[in-house]
Amino acid sequence: MSAAVLEIENLSKSFGGVHAVRDCSFAVAQGQVLGLIGPNGAGKSTVVDLVSGFGRPDSGSVLLAGQELVGKRPDVISRLGLIRTFQTPREWRGLTVMDNVLLGRRQFGRESLWRCLTRARRLRRAEEPDRAQARAILDRFGLTDLTNSRAGTLSGGQKRLLEFARIAAAQPRLIILDEPMGGVNPVLGAQIRDAVRQFAAAGQAVIVVEHNLPFIEKTCDEVVVMDLGEVIAQGSFAGLRGNARVVDAYLGMDLSHD
Amino acid sequence: MYWVSVVTEAGIFAILALGLDVVWGWAGDFDLMFYGYLALGSYMTMVLTIGKPIPPVQYIIGWRLPYPLALLLAVLVVVALAAVIGAIALRNLREIYFAVTTLSAVTALYLLVENYTPLFDGYNGVYGLINPGQTALNLTYNGYRIVFLAVVLVLLALIYLLVERLSASPFGRMLRSVREDEHAAAAYGRSVFWAKYRAYLFGAALAGLAGGLFAVFISAFNPSAWTPQELLVIYAAILVGGRGNPRGVIAGVFVVYIGFIELTRFLPSPASRPEFGPAMRQILIGLLIILMLKFRPEGLFRERLNVDGRRGRRLGGAGVPASAGEPTGAAAVSGQADAKEPDARERSPQ
Repeated sequence: MSAAVLEIENLSKSFGGVHAVRDCSFAVAQGQVLGLIGPNGAGKSTVVDLVSGFGRPDSGSVLLAGQELVGKRPDVISRLGLIRTFQTPREWRGLTVMDNVLLGRRQFGRESLWRCLTRARRLRRAEEPDRAQARAILDRFGLTDLTNSRAGTLSGGQKRLLEFARIAAAQPRLIILDEPMGGVNPVLGAQIRDAVRQFAAAGQAVIVVEHNLPFIEKTCDEVVVMDLGEVIAQGSFAGLRGNARVVDAYLGMDLSHD
Repeated sequence: MYWVSVVTEAGIFAILALGLDVVWGWAGDFDLMFYGYLALGSYMTMVLTIGKPIPPVQYIIGWRLPYPLALLLAVLVVVALAAVIGAIALRNLREIYFAVTTLSAVTALYLLVENYTPLFDGYNGVYGLINPGQTALNLTYNGYRIVFLAVVLVLLALIYLLVERLSASPFGRMLRSVREDEHAAAAYGRSVFWAKYRAYLFGAALAGLAGGLFAVFISAFNPSAWTPQELLVIYAAILVGGRGNPRGVIAGVFVVYIGFIELTRFLPSPASRPEFGPAMRQILIGLLIILMLKFRPEGLFRERLNVDGRRGRRLGGAGVPASAGEPTGAAAVSGQADAKEPDARERSPQ
């Protein structure tokens, strides 16, 4: 297995007296899809927030390709190569689908106020290759017809696809998907699974937080199980079936296919 | 000459409104300090051009700089003040909290100027900037007024082109993404504060410029010229014209200032109640805001989308979502905008 992209060490966070995350450690490697599962309130989303800078851990360390992320702002962390999603698709609704994807391209140098005032034409020419790439990405996700629609007018499923198109445009080292299957039909689910596998095949590391266990089983190389803020198990999905603590955490839920 | 004066004033306010639209329309920050920047620009232009005060009049600086240089310096001073206010108000405060903070700032500035006479002579204000350059250009008084109108309109045209260019640029796109969802913008590497801060300074610079022009227009400036209500008229103009669309903003200013204010001039004005006219005008502007929010929340001109392939075509679809922090009625705006969205096309992906 190739080098770790993300290493989480002894991460902890309390809200008042509640230990939302306690001594959490795991790692994700290049090209790996890691499932992060656990019952509601297990601390999965808190881990995502702490890693991406939307929350500040009480202690512990998070390394992205060797760089410490703890203490950095979300935008700085994102620039280091991490893209996270939120539980609902958060498209920029008043902008076009194309603009959403172009913003995913992240050409920060072109967003200088001064350059935009003085070199507008040159910037527009420089943007052409990004537009071409964005069009190809929209095509890949079947969104070409919606290129110039306001993102806010898309259906829930289309917004999910736009989210993936945006990530594809950004090409981060690490992608964290917070419940990508929320409100998604089976056909779209297959498409999302393919997209995740393609990211991994391109060498990107992916963490998927999800309640949909069949999806986790089919998509992830490895699974981390959390309960009450702690990592209680880690390994292949098949290997966790017999794990008493995992079964217990899920209240005896059948982890095989339903 | 009356119409020359009316159009000049509208032109100056159009420059101000273009600046405010960058702050409110694009970045989504409901700034109540904004008229204070016009006031400061106006005061600074005055004290940099009219020379030493003659006691008992008192004010700071008292230089006799050429008008264009004074204008430039005034803009820089305004931007410096905006840099301080923005650094405090934009860092963590949003929506109503930002509005309240900026309202406090402008109130503090207002009270300071009114009560601390060594600054700008308190309630009397400063005066005496009468037609800079009139003798050099060898113009009559009326001729000067017409030339000044031309200067204002040329500046307005230049600023319009600049703002329109910025609107369609990557900066405009990035700033709007911050307005639409700042968490998502941060998750994609944008510093929300830095984006809003730059927009704020740019807007304040235009307000300072408008202030410097306003100083020539009225040749005197005192606290009664910048009561807080003035700003609401500018907001009304942006709302009527189309928030986020520079062309709409200019149209809105001309509609509200010339159409509306001039029409209400013909309201009865009983001699015993001189406050009737202005009060009625405020009420009617309030009514206009409510009616616009109810029936055409996106304004006369909808915010334009960057259309891939061709530029500048307006498309149907949802109006600009109203971020909170707008005046009362914001909820109605977003409700209306949603209601007008075409049914989301359900396309099950193959």
